[in-house]
Formats: sequence, C-alpha cells, structure tokens
Amino acid sequence: MNTVAKLFNPIVRFSPFMMMALLLIPVLGGLIGVILPAFGWIPALDQTHFSLNGFQQLWQTPGIGHMALLSITTSLVSTLLAFLITILILASYFTSPWLGYIQRLLGPILVIPHAAAAIAIGFLITPSGMLSRLVSPWLSGWDAPPDWLYPHDAMGLSIILGVTLKELPFLLLMALGVLAQPDLGQTLRAQHKVALSLGYCPMTAFFKVVLPSLYPHLRLPILAVLAYASASVEIPLILGPNNPPTLAVAIMQWFHDVDLSLRIKASAGAILQIQLTLFVLACWWLLERLVSQFAKPMLTNGEREYGGAIIQKITHVITALMLTIIGLALVGMLLWSFAGFWHFPDALPQQFVILHWQAASQQMHTPLIDTVLIALCATAVAITLTLLTLEAEQHSGKSLSLLGSVLIYLPLLIPSIAFLFGLVWLLEQVNSQHTFINVVLAHVLFVLPYVFLSLASSYRRLDPRFSIVAASLGATKAKIFFRIKLPMLIGPIFIACALGLAISFSQYLPTLLTGGGRINTITTEAVSLANGGSRRISAVYALMQMILPALGFLLAWLLPKIIVKNHRQK
Amino acid sequence: MTGHLMLLANFRWQHIVGTAFYSNLIKSKVVISLGLSALLLAAGLWAGIAHASVNDVVDVVDKPVTQTSTSSWPEIQSRGANQDVYFHAWGGDPQINRYIQWAAKQVKQLYQINLHHVKLTDTSEAVSRVLAEKSANNDHQGQVDLVWINGENFAAMAKHQLLAPNWVDQLPNFSLTDPDNNPAMTRDFGVPTQGMEAPWGKAALTFYYDSIVTTSPPQTLQQLSLWAKQHPGRFTYPKPPDFLATSFLKYALIVLNNSQPEAIKNLLYQPATTQSQALLLPVLWQYLDELHPHLWRKGRHFMSSGMELRRLIGDGELALAFTFSAAEIPAAVARFELPDSSRSYRMQDGSLSNIHFITIPYNAAHRDSAKLVVNFLLSPQAQAHKQQANVWGDTSVLALSKLTAEQQAWFAPSKQSHPSATIANQAISPALSEPDPSWSKVITALWLQRYGVMQ
Repeated sequence: MNTVAKLFNPIVRFSPFMMMALLLIPVLGGLIGVILPAFGWIPALDQTHFSLNGFQQLWQTPGIGHMALLSITTSLVSTLLAFLITILILASYFTSPWLGYIQRLLGPILVIPHAAAAIAIGFLITPSGMLSRLVSPWLSGWDAPPDWLYPHDAMGLSIILGVTLKELPFLLLMALGVLAQPDLGQTLRAQHKVALSLGYCPMTAFFKVVLPSLYPHLRLPILAVLAYASASVEIPLILGPNNPPTLAVAIMQWFHDVDLSLRIKASAGAILQIQLTLFVLACWWLLERLVSQFAKPMLTNGEREYGGAIIQKITHVITALMLTIIGLALVGMLLWSFAGFWHFPDALPQQFVILHWQAASQQMHTPLIDTVLIALCATAVAITLTLLTLEAEQHSGKSLSLLGSVLIYLPLLIPSIAFLFGLVWLLEQVNSQHTFINVVLAHVLFVLPYVFLSLASSYRRLDPRFSIVAASLGATKAKIFFRIKLPMLIGPIFIACALGLAISFSQYLPTLLTGGGRINTITTEAVSLANGGSRRISAVYALMQMILPALGFLLAWLLPKIIVKNHRQK
Repeated sequence: MTGHLMLLANFRWQHIVGTAFYSNLIKSKVVISLGLSALLLAAGLWAGIAHASVNDVVDVVDKPVTQTSTSSWPEIQSRGANQDVYFHAWGGDPQINRYIQWAAKQVKQLYQINLHHVKLTDTSEAVSRVLAEKSANNDHQGQVDLVWINGENFAAMAKHQLLAPNWVDQLPNFSLTDPDNNPAMTRDFGVPTQGMEAPWGKAALTFYYDSIVTTSPPQTLQQLSLWAKQHPGRFTYPKPPDFLATSFLKYALIVLNNSQPEAIKNLLYQPATTQSQALLLPVLWQYLDELHPHLWRKGRHFMSSGMELRRLIGDGELALAFTFSAAEIPAAVARFELPDSSRSYRMQDGSLSNIHFITIPYNAAHRDSAKLVVNFLLSPQAQAHKQQANVWGDTSVLALSKLTAEQQAWFAPSKQSHPSATIANQAISPALSEPDPSWSKVITALWLQRYGVMQ
C-alpha cells in the first residue's frame, strides 16, 4: 500500500493530461491525415504537390449541392422533431406516472445500434413491409407490394423518421436524467406545483416554468445529436436515397472507391462535412436565439392556457404512434430471425425455424469474443482515466476548464467520418501490427466521453464530508480514494462500465477502419450482412447487438446489489 | 455516438448511492471496484499482447521479392508452414464463408496454417489497405496476405504495383488448369495476369425468378425490355459501381452491339477511347432510357448493393433478378430466403462470363504460407468440393483432362438438389467475355452522370 500511496498522487496529477492526449492526438492527427490529402498530398499515389484539385473535383460532382442540402435538412428536421416530441411528452406527462412507463419502454431503444434500428424501421415502411402486410390484401387490395419510393425517398423523409425515432429516447432520457438530479428536479417540480396553484394549465406551466431551466442542461446532448445526425452513415445508408446520397455516405463511398485518386476528393469532402456540421450547429444556435427572443415576453404575460388540452391529445397520439412503430419494428425483427419463407401479404411467416440462429451461432463465436474483449479493454481504460481525472480535479480543487470539457466531447462533435480515415493513416505511421490495440484506442475515443459524462456528476456531488472525516483521521488521499470514494460510487461506476461496454459494442466505422477488417465484431458483421441478401441472418445479428448491452446493464444493476448484500452479511 | 446510453446510467445509481450500508463498505478489506478495474485492465493488456505476439512471432523472417521468386516448392513448403494467413475476401454470402472455413480446416491439417477470413463488404477495402501500407512505407509487413479479386480491382492493384509478381507458376497445382491450352486462365477481363494472380473459379450471369408469379421470363435482352413494360416495377438492377450493376450493363452493351461489324465489336476488348465510346455506347443509353421508366421505383432509385436483389425477390417486390453465383439460388431456397418455386436460367443471347482470382499483395507478411493456401485451393479436392451445389456451386477452373479418372469423378453433380440448381439454357447460352476493365469505369462514370442525380 505504501508504494501505491507514494505513486498515487503523481499518477492522479498526470492523468488529466494522459486523458487529453488520448483524445486529442488521434482526433487532431486524424484531421491532419485528412487535410493533407484534401490539398492533394498523397505520397502513395505520387501526389506531393499541394493543390486545390480535390475541391474542384468536389464542386464538379453531380448533385453535390443536393447532397449537402440533404444532410442539412435531414439532420435539422429530425433533431428538431426529436426535441419537440421530447418536450411534448415531458409537458404532457410531467406529473403523471406515465412518464416513468414511457421511460422504461424507451430505455431499451438506446442500446439498439443505429444500423439495427435502421434495418428494423426499413422493414416496417418498405412496400412489402409490416405496415403494408397488416392492411393487405383485405383493406388495400394489394396482392403484390405497391411500388412506392419508401424508404429511399429523395426528400430523406425515411432518414428523418429513423433518426427521430432513434434519438428521441436519448433526448428524453437525458431530460429525465436532469430532472432526477435531487436539487434541480425537486426545485422544478415544486415550482411547477406553484404555477399550477396559480391557475396555470399543466402544459403552460411546464413551458413557462420548467423548460427555461431545463433547456440549458439539454443543449449539449442536442448539439451532439445534431452533429451526429449531420454526419452519420448507418441510417442514411440503409434508409436514405442514393441518387444522390447524403454527403457523409458519399464521402465513405469515395474513400472506398476502386479509383484511388478519388481519395483526394473524399478528403476534400470530409473538410466540407466539418463545415457543414458547424453550419448546422450554428443554425441551431440561431434558432435558439430567435425562439428565446420571441418567447421571452410570453413567459411573463400571465396567460394561463394555450389550448393545452388539444396539445395533450395530440401528444397522446404521437406517443402511441411512436411506441407502436418501435414495437412493430422490434416484433418484426424477432419474427425475421425465426422466419421460414414469408410470402408477401402474409402478416406471419409460413413456418418458424431456428435455422438462422443455428447458422449464426456457428460463425459467431470469434466475433463475439473479440467484441467483448475490445469492449472490456476500452471500458477499463476509459473508467480508470475518468476516475483518476475526476480525482485530480478534487486534488487541485478546481473543476475542468471549459476548454477541457469541450475537448472531452471533441470526438462526439467532430464528424467521425472526417477524422477516422486520417486516424488509420496515422496508426499506419506509428505501428501497423498491433491491430487489437489500434481498435481499442479508437473505441476509447468514443467510450471515454460517455463514461466521463456518466460518472462526472455523481463523482463531483459525492458528499465531501466523508473524505474530510477520513483525512482528519489520518487517511492518505490514496486510501480515501480506494477505501471511501470508490466503494461509495460502486453503483455509478458499474453503470458507467455498462455504458462504456454498450458504446463499444455498437461501434461500426472505428472498428472497421482501424481493425482493417482483421477484427470482426458483432456490429461489423451485422452491417456487412445487412448489405447482403439475408434479412433473417442480419435480424439474428441485430438481436445479438441488443442482447449484449442489455446483459451489461443487467449485470451493472445486479452486481452492486449482490456485492453490497454480501458485505452486509459479514 | 453510436449508442446514447449514458442516461440509463443516471437512473439506477441514485437508488444506491447514499444508502446506509455504504458505511459498511468503507471498512471492507477488499475494494471491489479497484479489483474490477485492475482486472479489466489486465485482461485488456493480456489480450493486446496476445494479439501482438502472434504477429511478432510469425514475422521474424523477412522475405525479399527476389528470393521468393526463385525458391523451390519444398523450400516454400518448409518456410510457409505453421503461420497465419489473412485472406481478404468478400464476406456477404454465408455459403462462401463456410467454404473458406472448410478450407481453413484443411490447411490447418496440411500445413499447420491458421487461415483467417477477413470478411470484406467490398474488395476495394483491401486495395485501399495495401495502398495505405505502401504510403506508410510498410513494404514487408503487410496485413493482407491474400485477396479474392478480379477485373477492375486487379487492374487498379496491378497499375499501382501493389501485387507480388510471377509467383503463380511456382504452384504445382496451377498446371492442372492447363494454362497453355486455356488462355482464359492467365487473362483477367482481358488483362494479362503475368503470374500475379491464380484463377479460383468461374462464374456466369444467371437470371432467376419465382415460377409461380412469372410463367414466361424474358429470354433475351430485347424481350426483357418488353417484359418490363408489361410488368412495371418488377425488375431492376443495382446502382453502379456495384459489381452486379456493371455486369448487367456490360451484358447489355455487348448484346446491343452484337450486330455491329467485327472490327467495331472488338473495340470492347481494348481500352475505351473517346472514339470507341462514341461508336459503342449510344445504343446502351437508348436502351436504358427506354427501360428505366418501367423499372422498380420507376427507375428513380437503384439499390446500392446487388445482394439486395435476392431480398426483394423474397419480399415479392421483384419478379426477376440475376446473380453471378448461380449456386446461391438453391442455397437461399434452403434458407427460406427465396420461394421454393424459384427457378434459374441463362439468357439465350448470351451470358457474361468471367473468372475470379486470388492474388498476393507485394508486401504480404506471410507470402510463402499464402502460396501454400492458394495451391491447396487449386487442388482437385478443394475445387471439387467448391463445385458441389450444396457447398458453394462455383465452377472449377481445373481442366478435367489433366486429372485422373478418380479425381474427375469427384466433379460429378450430386443428384438430390433443388430444381433451381439446374440452370436452364446453359447449353445454348453463348459465353460473353468480359470487356476490357476500362469499360467498367467508363460505363459507371457516364451512368452516374446520366442517371445518378434525379432531376
């Protein structure tokens, strides 16, 4: 213990820098690895003259404006929709037990990877999908699927539906998380009650009293959703149009094109993607300004009622519709994984077989082991660094600077498609052999921000008197950390672990690129099968993608209870 | 950002933190969380090291280019045994994946080689990787040992000198393909392979349909156009640069130009020039302009991957589709992905045919082992197994005349296969050779210009 105690303080002091380095170097290095080729510098293609050819090629791409517009509109509209529905649900059910039920129903959606969600939604709305099967042929008269352009519609409505449904639970749970904070949540609920007693309609009371205090806590998650939506690949790839696709999808295709000189254009596209994401974020900021300017006088005008009853009814309908869509999509996925042949207007497959699960289980064990090992390593690194950094914060007595906290979320705010290709190039320069470590490092980039976000508030809010008492009894800082803080935070730590594992499980692009295809996880297998012709096998993999993180959360919830119970019995 | 889960985090812990029993925990001897973190970290390090050491151990022998090309086969056998080989091959078909798994077991027994199938969604991923390695001056420790390849990808790799030269002749089993009398074995889409890749299998464009829905499928390209008019929305092809898409377009290009004089037709087998494009392409665009309004989604959307054709037939959205691996049809029927009434046939005006190859990148870390694997894949045993309809159904590249009578018997078709395994018109459908690879690129670029952006 003595050596640990001696080493503990320097390690703690060093760890914030370590964490920043782990996040910054790959992201910035990756960006450089994209910026250089964008300006025409690719030694491998004997291109060593800086030029603007890449950007010229980019402007000349047919439909480039359309691609950018599609990215902008789909991300803005879907984020706005997800946010509005979140607010409506909160406002309508603020005082009702239904809020809890909805939270529990939507919670599991979070662990569904985007690709799996897109596949499930695609099956629902496709002309031969669940919705049209349910009304055929008795209502619609269709014996063969109608020839609609959904999904893949040129306007991107299918993308908007997919992103909205996937991000809504996230925003809702973020908001509920804020409201679950003891101080803030209680204050807001109390203020809401006061407003009700003053004769405000519950809906109006929520918008005038709760929302203004709640929104600042939601801003970062919303911006993260927006940034993600503007540059994501999975959902637009599966649900979006391809003539032309969104900018991010096009960039990925150029990077992967046989014609290697397209990489210059792809890199230029990545630069454009960053600008586009910044533009979308700026749009949101402007919108926020406008709304707050416009709404300020309304807050104090004393109006008690704005058609709350009607809005509430509309919210009921939207909520029911959403839950139905999500439910049907999940049932559809489950049915597919056991389906024999499934003739068109039939609502159920002709026979149920376990063949697909058997076939998948034969091929699944190596990817499964890799998935779990990578996730464990990335999560262990992330948890250790997060805990030490938070501890360093308390040693120095000041919390992370604004710059520091922005840096932590950098990998979430910069479109991953923009820096991952550069990162692969960077890893190539450093070492090309330790693929497993490369993948773990790439996963840490995305796991760390979430783990930090999840642990920071509980660590910072831990009652300092415990540490003070222990210190006054002569305990060293190391002892306080290991013997008091960690055991007291065992619950949040386990949940953060489960979260880290789940984030790692769902990574597609980072695994594919840094692993160079040598390391297959359940997610990379699921996406590559989604490109294939077998919906049944990909349903099995998509379900596996859901089961893994769910298991993680179950363990994270159970283990602390068991451990605590055992200690009480001693 | 791929999973927004952190807020699950914020719910549960509130119930736990602050409860009284934590005071007991403080006194506890074992600090569980620390233990857990350490354990996770240890597991991570161990796994990282394990992965790293496998690579390090096998890479001890550096193999310069000149040395290997003069080595004798026994030398290659002794150097190549007992190593790892990373085989980068498209992984979208479970049946093919299973065949590679089978091959992995065989080479493990024969040479103690661990064959890893790196499943690609597109072969160009492997091309990109080797290129990235070249740009990083990694000339000996490349991660790609073998690539399943042909056509444009091969032409690209050869052009950028990313392939190991002159190794195919060293393989004892290569002579079984009878390359002297069978020039197709050394030409990939018309481009001489120069010993940089070994043939693996043969494929031809095969159409399939549900015989209950469609009773008389079109037999020629012209009939296809008429059929599509009568059955709007029931046929489509994928969007270039998908492999099946360019294959369909090349089939159309060849057939539509069939009535042209011999000298003009032959331009298809030479690199595309502005002049030859002007002579050959107009008929194609004319045909497509006429066909598109009757396609699935009225030709406003083309699927990105050719594999989706099969799913759309299964869903009943399409009534006619095509594939390059005919064996996937009975296999998909057996997996319930296609109706039992599926049948397959070749177009009477010709079937685009090609050979697919296996190649070794110039910087492969385990080049000798890779050669042993390729030699095994060319063995009568492996080729016969591959040709079985219920295994993969990929046509063998071996010349039966070079085999013993016993070996020839292995290639006889099995009797109890699904009716869709029997391809109609096989005898009367002439094989159409692949045009020069430059045509794929030209067709793709022009197609995207004409139809890639909806007006």
